[in-house]
Amino acid sequence: MPKSKSALSLAISVGEALLKNGGEVYRVQETVSRILESYGIEDYHVFVITNGIFATVYEQREDAGSMVRYVPIGEVNLKRVAEINQLSREICERRLNIQEALGKLEQCRNSPNERKLALVFACGVGSAGFCYLLGGRPFDSLVSFFLGVLLELFLLAASRRKASRLLMNILGSALVTAGSLSLYVAGAGALLDKTIIGGIIPLVPGVALITAIRDLFSGDYLSGSIRLIDALLTGMCIAIGVGGVMKLFQTLGGGVLL
Amino acid sequence: MIVQIAISMAATIAFAVLFHVPKSEYVLCGVNGAIGWMAYLFCISHGTGVVIASMWATLVLTLIARALSAIRKMPSTVFLVTGIFTLVPGAGIYYTSYYLIMNDLVQSMAKGIETFKIAGAIVLGMVFGLMLPQSWFNQLGKIGKK
Repeated sequence: MPKSKSALSLAISVGEALLKNGGEVYRVQETVSRILESYGIEDYHVFVITNGIFATVYEQREDAGSMVRYVPIGEVNLKRVAEINQLSREICERRLNIQEALGKLEQCRNSPNERKLALVFACGVGSAGFCYLLGGRPFDSLVSFFLGVLLELFLLAASRRKASRLLMNILGSALVTAGSLSLYVAGAGALLDKTIIGGIIPLVPGVALITAIRDLFSGDYLSGSIRLIDALLTGMCIAIGVGGVMKLFQTLGGGVLL
Repeated sequence: MIVQIAISMAATIAFAVLFHVPKSEYVLCGVNGAIGWMAYLFCISHGTGVVIASMWATLVLTLIARALSAIRKMPSTVFLVTGIFTLVPGAGIYYTSYYLIMNDLVQSMAKGIETFKIAGAIVLGMVFGLMLPQSWFNQLGKIGKK
């Protein structure tokens, strides 16, 4: 394979890994360009959107190359974003040849995730914390903690089955609401609204919203719109999940005011 | 007050874990989240209202995140995404759908519009924060190196 092609392949693979783990579009664009430049390729074009990368090098020459990658929106993993960022910095300082860089990229891709138990616990703590910050009492926070744990267990199980993200959001918020309502009906004495709000916070599309803004701000209107729609739909799904279950409980309870 | 700081830190760190932030940055993410929440409470207690408070808090948060990212040589997303979680209008989404189900349409619209306003305020705050030139923050990075 000519050098230009292997460099392009490396650059686009790094970009793909970055985009997949939650890097912004402008960061991916810059990374791919810089890597190509650091391997001495001047004549290149790179186009990145939220779920795809397109790049060509040396359009006019015999060894012209072009590559396309499809990158579905996936789980955010900021550790890998940071590691890949570091890797691209090393490449740009010309410390790595293509083979070494590919090896390092493979390491970044397979860097171990946080243990499941830690994730579940963190989700509980996050829910409990927000319940308290938004005006819940310590007892409400305790309830929220368990709702958060329940939610993360559900999300982990669902992601193993590759369920659609929208459905996961609806069912997740429905689960939290059902949990809180059952306790409320049973007379546990926790505030209904605060516990549910704490429970659904992990689903709220904060990351999508921020990435959308950053994309729009750097002029990537297409990518920004994709993220913004993602954020709005997620918000709506949460509302549907919460509302649907409340209506169900209301109907079953014979129109009792919650 | 101290309880509020501690809890907002703990909650932010919990989200840092959920988004797989590198372990070395957990504490700084927590500090950033706590500062954001403090800025929010400070604005509220001075009678600015929820929307404007969200804007100022986001501005503060964005600037600190950019400074931290220059000093720690980390992508700024790491600090932004985790810090912003204390301000995202999760409660607004809940109340909007709650009043809708209760057929209290006036309240539902009011909450829905307020949620959008908060989201817009966060956008504005972040855009202001991102407008400052990167070179200012790179100076900070040099200080951090010494």
